[in-house]
This record gives sequence, structure tokens and C-alpha cells, in this order.
Amino acid sequence: MIVECLKLFYTFVKLGFLSFGGGYAMLSMIMSEAQQFSVSKVQFADLNALDMVVPGSIAINAATYVGYMHQGLAGAISATIGVSLPSFVLTIVIMRFFARFKDNVYLTDTLSGIKPAAVGLIAAAAITIAAEVLVIQGKKLGDVFLNPLSTFSLAGVIIFIVTAVLNIRFKVNPILLTVLAGIVGAFVMS
Amino acid sequence: MFHSKIIDFISKKKLHKYFALFITFLKASTFTFAGGLAVVPAIERDAVEKYHLLNKDEFMEYATLSQTMPGVIALNCATLVGRHAGGFVGMLAAGFGAILPAFSLMVLATIAANMIPQQGPLLGAMQGIRAASAALILSAAFSLGRYNLKNAFAIVLMIAVFLLTVFGNLSAPLLVVLSGIAGCIYQRIRRYRERRVDNDC
Repeated sequence: MIVECLKLFYTFVKLGFLSFGGGYAMLSMIMSEAQQFSVSKVQFADLNALDMVVPGSIAINAATYVGYMHQGLAGAISATIGVSLPSFVLTIVIMRFFARFKDNVYLTDTLSGIKPAAVGLIAAAAITIAAEVLVIQGKKLGDVFLNPLSTFSLAGVIIFIVTAVLNIRFKVNPILLTVLAGIVGAFVMS
Repeated sequence: MFHSKIIDFISKKKLHKYFALFITFLKASTFTFAGGLAVVPAIERDAVEKYHLLNKDEFMEYATLSQTMPGVIALNCATLVGRHAGGFVGMLAAGFGAILPAFSLMVLATIAANMIPQQGPLLGAMQGIRAASAALILSAAFSLGRYNLKNAFAIVLMIAVFLLTVFGNLSAPLLVVLSGIAGCIYQRIRRYRERRVDNDC
């Protein structure tokens, strides 16, 4: 248990130091590391839905969730301390060299690569989760080549597309969309 | 007698400051849902106008810096402002205030979510919510891409990272480090070319 908690702590410290660009960038990185903590992609979809209704930073919420799912309360505490530690350490370092850090050429150069990468990581997370949650239970994604229509849940695909369009194009409130998707799902998908 | 009164006064003033930092970020973290930049106006109102922990220009500078730093943006903002206004203890007070609501409410939410029975209409509702949830992550990629994909290099890099994650199964931390290096190399080449063009003219 202590070993597992230390592993959680170490992983989240690493993710904290390497994640630029806010909550969703970190969420996609956490997903790539979460397989070792027995959190499935379906559970990640649940996590994202919970994130929207639970206050606070997405990344802290995500660390708490993954930690709790893996090792209970002790795991949640280890992961949360881990993901928070970089902010404290970097604040002490940066405040000492504030003027030099702000316009540092290496930093802006590095960020010019990391920011587009974050977009790619988030898109990849979305597609991976979508592939997982939209496939009908008991089928594999590979079946799509044999029989595309019976591999995906039709209602799920429609909810996915409608939600994406309404949110991206028309800026409809995400919490409202989540609630509506739940209601539609309760009637159509059970 | 007089001496002890001064010490008493100082520590009271300090304690008041730590408390102000803690409350400011506790409130900001409790009443914002999306995280990130949404918290900035709420923090500004409390930290600058109500408690006078720092002035507006200093605050804006820290708010910008907290997005450039790696890590949790709202927490970066808390530790920077806390450290500025209250030293090391101030940093801990502000940071703890920012973490506490997110952590404790998420633990409760996780326990509650695990109790939802996975069958019947509730399972259907969960599946609908999961489909919407995946779509909303895709939407996050779009809104971030709108600001960060402004040249061919950025677009190629984004597509490469996407493909390597989905099909190559490479780990995200590795890809982030490689993209950072790619960014450095690209900017260096770009500056070198600009200089050569300038010399030719």
C-alpha cells in the first residue's frame, strides 16, 4: 500500500512538472499514465463528467479521483499532494529569479512546441475515450472493419456528435449538455 | 510590556494576512467549476480590493505567470500571490485554501458516484453522460487549438502528437519533452533564417 501510494505520488509530481496549458492538457497526460493505476478509459469519461459538477481545478479533481480509485483515501491524498507539489517548488524558485524567468527565450521557445502538443494530446484523449465508450459492450474496436454498424452504439454516436457540435459551434453550456445526455441515455440506451 | 505589545500586534497582523490568503483562495476554488482562468476575476476582487494583499498590476503579472508555469494554473496563482503577500507561510495558506475544496468535494463525489448501480435506466444515463463527456474533451481541444495552432509547424506537431498517442501508444510525458525540444529547434532555425534574409537585403 505504501509502495503504491509512493508510486502515485511520484507519477503525479512528474505530470505536474511536465504539464503546461491547464486542466485538460493535464487530464490527457494523466490518462496516458493511469493505466498502471487500474483506471479504465470508461472511468475517465466518468471522471470528466464529475469534474464539471465538482468545484475546483480539473487537475486536482483528477488526481484525487485516480488516487481514490487506486488506493482509497490514502491514495487520493498522495496523488493530490504530488500534483500540487510543483506549484510550491516552482513558486519558490521563480520568485527568486522573477525578472529572468519572465522573458526567458528558452522558455518561450519550449512553450511554442509544448502548446500545440497539448492540443494533440487532448484530441487523442477525446478520441480514445470516445472509441471506448461508444463501442457496444462485448464488442472490440477491431470489429469496426467487419461490421461497422453493429460495433458502435448508434444513440451514443449521435449524443457524441450533437454534444460536440452544440458546444464547439454554439457554445451551449457543458453542464446542461451533460444533464441532457444523461436523460436521453436513460430513455434510449438502457 | 510595551515590547510584548508590539510582538502581539505584528503576529496578529500576520495571522490576519494568512487567514485572508486562505479564505481568498478557498472561496475562489469553491465557487468556480471549470478551473483555470475562470477563477482570476474572483481572486482579484478579494486579494486586491478587499484584503489589499497586493496591487492590481502585481496581481495581473502573477495571473499571467501562473499560466506559463507548468502545473495546476489556479494553484500556481495561489502560491505566487501567497508567497508575495505572506512569505513561505502565506504560500502554504493560499495553496492549501486552493486545494482543500477540490480535494474534499471530489472524494465525496467519487464515493457517491461509485454507489450508483450500473444497471437499468441509470446505466443508460451513465452511457449517455460518457458519450457527452468524450465530446466535451474534444471541444476542449478545439478551444485550445484556436489560440495555439497559428503556423504550419504547430499544426504538423499537433497532428504528429495526436497520431503517436493514438496509434503509437507513446507516453504523454515523453511526447511533451520531445515537443519542447522540437519547439526550441524550430524557433532557432526560424531566427537564423530571418537573420540571413536581413543580411542579404
